[in-house]
Amino acid sequence: MRLAHLADPHLGVRQYHRQTPSGINQREADVARAFRLAVDGVIAERPDAVVIAGDLFHSVRPTNSAIVFAFKQFQRLREALPEAPMVLVAGNHDTPRSAETGSILRLFEELGVDVAVDEARRLEYPALGLSVLAVPHTALMAAERPSLRPEGGARHRVLVLHGEIEGVLPTQRHTVEYGGALVGLRELGMEEWSYVALGHYHVQHEVAANTWYSGSLEYVGTNLWGELADEREQGIRGKGWLLADLDRRTVTRESVPASRPIIDLEPVRGEGLAADALDDLIEERLRAIPGGVVDRIVRLRVYDVPRHVARELDHAAIRAHKSEALHFNLDIRRPEIHRAVGVGAPGRRQTLPELVRDFLAHRPLPAELDRDAFVRLGDELMDAVERDVAGT
Amino acid sequence: MTAPPLGRVVATELKPSTPHQFHFWTARESPIGIGAIVRVQEAGRTVYGVVTDGFAYSDLVTPMHAVLGADGDPVAAGDEPTARAEIRLFTVAVLRQMPEEPLQPVPLGPVWLADDADVLLALRMDSYTGGERASGVPVGLYAAGGLESPVYLDCDFLLGPEAAHLNITGVSGLATKTSAVEFLLASIFQTFPRHKGSVAALCFNVKGPDLCFLDQPSALSDEDHRLYQRLGLRAEPFADVHYYAPLRPDGVNLNTLRTNEALAGNTEPLIWGLREVLDYAEVVLNRDDIDAKADAFIDFLAERVVGREYQDDMLRGRPFQVQSFADLEEFFRAIFDFMEVLGKGGEVWKTHHLATIRKVRNRLSNISTRSKGLVTDDGAANDLPWGSFADRGVYVVDVAGLDPLAQDLVFARVVSKLREHLERRDLGVEHVVVFVDELNKYAPGDGPETYVRKMLLDLSERGRYLGLVLFSAQQFRSQVQRRVVGNAGTAVYGRMDADELATPGYATLSPATKIKLATLPKGELMVRHPHFTQPIFVKFPRPPVLGGREGIERYPPSGDMPFAAAVARRLRSLDRRVSAEAVFEAIDGRREDDVRRALSATRRERPTDPLPYFVACLGRRVAGEVVLPWRGIPAVRRGEDGYGA
Ligand SMILES: Nc1ncnc2c1ncn2[C@@H]1O[C@H](COP(=O)(O)OP(=O)(O)OP(=O)(O)O)[C@@H](O)[C@H]1O
Ligand SMILES: [Mg+2]
Repeated sequence: MRLAHLADPHLGVRQYHRQTPSGINQREADVARAFRLAVDGVIAERPDAVVIAGDLFHSVRPTNSAIVFAFKQFQRLREALPEAPMVLVAGNHDTPRSAETGSILRLFEELGVDVAVDEARRLEYPALGLSVLAVPHTALMAAERPSLRPEGGARHRVLVLHGEIEGVLPTQRHTVEYGGALVGLRELGMEEWSYVALGHYHVQHEVAANTWYSGSLEYVGTNLWGELADEREQGIRGKGWLLADLDRRTVTRESVPASRPIIDLEPVRGEGLAADALDDLIEERLRAIPGGVVDRIVRLRVYDVPRHVARELDHAAIRAHKSEALHFNLDIRRPEIHRAVGVGAPGRRQTLPELVRDFLAHRPLPAELDRDAFVRLGDELMDAVERDVAGT
Repeated sequence: MTAPPLGRVVATELKPSTPHQFHFWTARESPIGIGAIVRVQEAGRTVYGVVTDGFAYSDLVTPMHAVLGADGDPVAAGDEPTARAEIRLFTVAVLRQMPEEPLQPVPLGPVWLADDADVLLALRMDSYTGGERASGVPVGLYAAGGLESPVYLDCDFLLGPEAAHLNITGVSGLATKTSAVEFLLASIFQTFPRHKGSVAALCFNVKGPDLCFLDQPSALSDEDHRLYQRLGLRAEPFADVHYYAPLRPDGVNLNTLRTNEALAGNTEPLIWGLREVLDYAEVVLNRDDIDAKADAFIDFLAERVVGREYQDDMLRGRPFQVQSFADLEEFFRAIFDFMEVLGKGGEVWKTHHLATIRKVRNRLSNISTRSKGLVTDDGAANDLPWGSFADRGVYVVDVAGLDPLAQDLVFARVVSKLREHLERRDLGVEHVVVFVDELNKYAPGDGPETYVRKMLLDLSERGRYLGLVLFSAQQFRSQVQRRVVGNAGTAVYGRMDADELATPGYATLSPATKIKLATLPKGELMVRHPHFTQPIFVKFPRPPVLGGREGIERYPPSGDMPFAAAVARRLRSLDRRVSAEAVFEAIDGRREDDVRRALSATRRERPTDPLPYFVACLGRRVAGEVVLPWRGIPAVRRGEDGYGA
């Protein structure tokens, strides 16, 4: 029994302003391409079953082109694997806000895809000795959650779930999307399943030998750079899907090559530098990219640039780079704000972000709020604000 | 005072009166006995005393004269023409002299049997009974010569702050120790004055069904009712009793004899998590002479690991979230695995020696095995209501069925928590009486130093300032740590064992008092109390609560029930409306672990409707739907897919 595990394609996502020659958002096309490649890979591997662990679409109401595209891909899968079970659960992105709003995902039932939109479904495929518990986002948000336990005697017991497993992701998880349902490890009961196919966290992640996040197929999260950092930290190279062999108990990573390089350049320290010196350094960094910035997604952080220096940078040149690149994020940050604070260690004043972090870390919180997550969110918001302030 | 005197003080060179002792003679038929309180009144001085010994003799010089006088025939001895003069002489220990100064030998004067008013003065109870700020607590009835007077203890000396604690000793079954404490607690609850604040009792049930029925009335005799009336007390069981018992290892049945369904309403499981245990780990570890290194490692666990996110990339990519013993075991295993990989270099992990880590791990896992049922693995504790103890509330913690190690843990944590809260003044009440039966087990006179003994000693030494009061009982006082019993302001004795009376602790008692103690009937006690300068004998009624033995007859324990029935019982104790059938249906086919988890979540949450909440915790069961293999679809003409392919 071989199972293809895909998650978080986020079809229809639009990022940046670049369009393809046919007028489609370039990133939307990139994401579609990644899904197409994944489907190619699945067809080549000819697994016995295919599961997609949520967020097929980036939104509840995807564009017609995204829908048509997805339909065609499922059709390809179905033609190639005429009898294979295909299971699709709704994630937090493609779940309708109210039960009355129908779900587009049902469309794929026409192709024999078993879809779980708002309630968990236990799908039995006796011919394969396979039982799949498909748990969409909504089912986990309901007052009465489904019991996440295998039942019956099927040889292969698979759980497909879209949500965040509590406490298993790296501590510095800037990249975990908000809005996911939290599931405790005990509630999950990994030991009882042959395989647990998870969706929601975009970086491929092994929770246990039989429990995996396959990760998204492209960089579609709100925190692209954090996602890259997570990958680096965890030694993950790029995106892909998983092929789980339930008899051999092995999981193979199948990669999907990225549409274009995403480059996070070594930051520039701007302290004490005049605008023209900075211009030179920026140019130098960009020139060093093999193949240049054209059609790429690039970030360059420049620290400690006072507002008056930032104003005098060569904005024409920067604009030129921005139009060449698919996306060029020149992240110019002002020197850290030394707002006078009465307290604190002598010699060094707290910066504003530190002050905020400190405040958030100590202010009274309702017991059910996770303080770490709360402080982290504060950090991220402060970070975003700082960036905006510095960038404009 | 109108009654005629019963005797007169005599003083001879051989038996002189002193300021604290005198002798008096009586007629042969006087009702005086050992323990009787008497009054001497002479020349503006009143002396009260208690009879401690008695003698009878005649004018014969030696026994030989009696034998010769009757020609050696005991039958003839009764036929003598004149009865021999017989003297009845009693020794009295002085209780009080009025005026107190100057302190003088007891004068030669007439002796009366004490009446109510005399008893009040003799025992200095006049200073704390009656009046606006009375603080007397009836302990029993003093009786002699047809007279009866209530005897009161001063609650300032029983529950602090002046003195505190009570210890009771005496042989098994006859001394009525447990009964006496039950009675006295009832008495305290009824008479502890409002101006002294609030009071609650925390009882450890250490023996079978002993304290399992404190909320149930007992059948009392007319005599018992009369005694209650005479003492000004109501014969009522405790109105507000809460039972806590650990679970059995199955996690659903209670480890107590109070399992009769009729009593389920106020019987709750006592469940602690790793956190609760770890804070008191030293209790258990001290026994094994754990060293400073192990202590340091335990501190590390308690402060850095348990209950928080612990990240160490060397051990594991994802952080540890240690909430339970199982999680802790996982953490230990990660350390050991890591050290094994290091091989020879792997002797020390973060300054902690591998041997120390192993030792701590073994000890901790020992706790979790030996206290299974008390200690949960899923972290949802159910504890005593710290912070909301109720005035006149009785909290019984049933440890009778627990392993001794787990018992120690319960003692240590409960007493320490009481202490912490009383120190912070946020327990909910101002005084707590802690009742520990079988004290010789927990604070023995010999044997190794244990945490529990140290804690009981500390409580006996410092508790009175906090309102933390120890009532304790044991068969042999001489087998208990001397300072623990020594610190008890009030000491009570029931029927005593003669060998025990021969130990040095009882040297100050007269031979006659010892004999009286060795033959004391049930329901009679000897009481020492700071205001009484001599021990006083009293009798008390049967306690107003059902005793253990009668209790299990009236409320037979239901025994360990099958899993499902026990779960239903637990839920029904939260809400009587829950039907057993509904529970059976809800848990049919579920994993026992899941059921236990749902149960503990329900218990923690205490929802108004427990059953639906419980069912929600179990999770909606998802019915299976058989999907038949998909039979292909007609190929649709493939066109452009919209994104360029
Ligand atoms: N006031 C009383 N008058 C007469 N009998 C009493 C009185 N109080 C208790 N009893 C009876 O004395 C018996 C022993 O009482 P209790 O269990 O209190 O003794 P104990 O000293 O605690 O014994 P053990 O050492 O075995 O625990 C019981 O059967 C009880 O009914
Ligand atoms: Mg007893």
